[in-house]
Amino acid sequence: MERSRLLGWFLLNLALAGAQALTPAHHLSLPDVARLQSLLSQQFTDLESAYHSVVGLTKLGAAVPDHDHVCQFLKSQLDPTSVDSVFFAAETSQAISGCEIPVSNETRDILLAAVSEDSTMAQIHRAVSALSSLGLPVVSQEVVVSVWLTARLSQQAELGGILEEIEDLTARLDDLGGIYLQFEEGLEATAMFVTAAYSLSDHVDMEPPLKEDQVIQLVNSIFSKKSWDSLAEAFSVASAAAALSSNRFHVPVIVSAHGPATVSHSQPTLQLLVTDVMSQPLASANVLVESAYAVASKSVILSQASFTLNDGVYELNFMSTQPASGYYQFTIAVTGDSRLVANHVELKVKVSTEVAITSMDLSVVDKDQSIGTKTTRVDYPSKAKSSFIADSHQNFAMSFQLVDVNTGVELTPHQTFVRLHNQKTGQEVVFVAEPDSKSLYKFELDTAERKSEFDSISGTYSLCLIVGDATLENPILWNVADVVLKFVDEEAPATIQSKTLYVPKPEIQHLFREPEKKPPTVVSNTFTALVLSPFLLLLILWFKLGANISSFSFSPSTILFHVGHAATLGLMYVYWTHLNMFQTLKYLAFIGGVTFLAGNRMLAQKAVKRIAAEQSSRLAKYRSLR
Amino acid sequence: MSNSVISVVSRFLEEYTSTTPNKLKVVDSYLLYILLTGALQFLYCLLVGTFPFNSFLSGFISCVGSFILAVCLRIQINPQNKGDFLSISPERAFADFLFAHTVLHLVVMNFIG
Repeated sequence: MERSRLLGWFLLNLALAGAQALTPAHHLSLPDVARLQSLLSQQFTDLESAYHSVVGLTKLGAAVPDHDHVCQFLKSQLDPTSVDSVFFAAETSQAISGCEIPVSNETRDILLAAVSEDSTMAQIHRAVSALSSLGLPVVSQEVVVSVWLTARLSQQAELGGILEEIEDLTARLDDLGGIYLQFEEGLEATAMFVTAAYSLSDHVDMEPPLKEDQVIQLVNSIFSKKSWDSLAEAFSVASAAAALSSNRFHVPVIVSAHGPATVSHSQPTLQLLVTDVMSQPLASANVLVESAYAVASKSVILSQASFTLNDGVYELNFMSTQPASGYYQFTIAVTGDSRLVANHVELKVKVSTEVAITSMDLSVVDKDQSIGTKTTRVDYPSKAKSSFIADSHQNFAMSFQLVDVNTGVELTPHQTFVRLHNQKTGQEVVFVAEPDSKSLYKFELDTAERKSEFDSISGTYSLCLIVGDATLENPILWNVADVVLKFVDEEAPATIQSKTLYVPKPEIQHLFREPEKKPPTVVSNTFTALVLSPFLLLLILWFKLGANISSFSFSPSTILFHVGHAATLGLMYVYWTHLNMFQTLKYLAFIGGVTFLAGNRMLAQKAVKRIAAEQSSRLAKYRSLR
Repeated sequence: MSNSVISVVSRFLEEYTSTTPNKLKVVDSYLLYILLTGALQFLYCLLVGTFPFNSFLSGFISCVGSFILAVCLRIQINPQNKGDFLSISPERAFADFLFAHTVLHLVVMNFIG
């Protein structure tokens, strides 16, 4: 579940990953820290949650309320025979002041016995932590270390070697899109790993073998989740946040704009918040703009300018360099502490300004230029006193300039539209005004040419100018004048039908396939009888000719042949009604074979008989001739 | 003109009835029967239309095929043609006739729908 969410972010951030140096995409903002604190401040019901709550809050730097109540709770819940219970109680009591957990000799023995080769890693860890928190002597460092090492790690017996194990563990982290780095076991494991790695590095005073990019990726993974499922998870995130803000080697820096990253004449300073991952201000930092260039022209406008710290916010008066309006790409460096990680940040800053419309000239020009043009000047925001009339022989023309109020530079905003709105029918037509090479905007309306857009509806149209851009603070909608347009071939002014896109469409009637026209049953029956009638004729003719079956010999082959033949005819009928070709061929092969053999026999017998008869008749003829 | 046609026809019929052996007359009546059946089917199709066209075709083809096979049989069993069919006895001709009919009817039944 978490992974799929992270993958979603991966797809979103893939484009941003690009060629830039990696900067943290997530951190604990002040609301996040508050939420974490409130989760950790919940009422605890057992020692483990008490441990997570109290120690977690301490790591976040928040105060633990009601120390006495906590202490009483610890003492009452303590189970002296369980290593885990003693561990939680001991660690928690360390976090709050003035709480001593009484420990008996049996407890101590149990703890010491837990430090052996048979115990799991977690048990050894808890036993040793409990012993040291309670101020009891652990048997000896070497025993602990050697037990730990032989149980888990390589044969190296020095503590510094353990640092290299961090590198092995780092290799086991999963890289998601170059943005996230986390263990597949989840957030808690990743956060505890970070906490452990940094506390170990601090202890042995050696830099952990984590590259800067890896640190940032770990930051992204740990702080991307903003609501935590369990107290243990919240505790791990709090520990990681504390570790990453105050260890001796790597402190990731979060640089973000205070409010929108926009600068204008009314708001000339660019304000930045520079904090650690927990949104706490850095102890000592110098914030510097290494370079700033305009996105449109790529010209460098600022180089090596430093920010001034003002009440926790870093400020720079950008407007003093008098930048033109538009977007600027800043490269910001945070220096002052060798531990800082990801201290080069790219930021996009917008400079916005106000626009003014000058020299707005309206005129009606005759197409054949015979009548001189009359130009009317209108000043913003007033409206022209008289309306302009243009029919099909005339063009309506408008020209104006857009300038920056503060610098007087000509502007070409993204949106300059001229809107004509028919007051009676509600129809509106929008055109675009284009600037020429000298940034003078011109708009011409040819009544004859454009009549299709107006549906040839004559009438009074109110003319409005719309000016807008992302870098303008004062977008303009100005009703300049009224224009009366006269079109030829005017159709009856139809009321504008609103878009009939979402109206139910006419229903399609499905035409089922018409059955073929069949003749009346009488006709069909008549013809059936007619077609069968020649059979009767055949029988009559055969009877007349004297065809008979007198020489029917009842030999088995004859009978079998006739039966087989009848069966074939029957099979044909059954084929017509029930079977398919394959089944028929199957039966036919069988029946046909039988019929063929029997028929062959029968016909051979007949042939013999015939030849004998012929021979005897020939013999008789020969005899009679003699 | 018509006189001569009638006289030719009557002459032909006379000779036919006297000289043709009985066996051949049996086959000839069978041929007439097939012819009439096919003609009537065709007439129906002309009058009413070809609605179940496949049925019409299979019926008509059946008649045509049977006619052809019967003609073949008649040729082969005619004693006057014995010289042309030395290796084929009348029984063999009849057996061929039956086999060909089986195949024809298989196809016709398939197509009749």
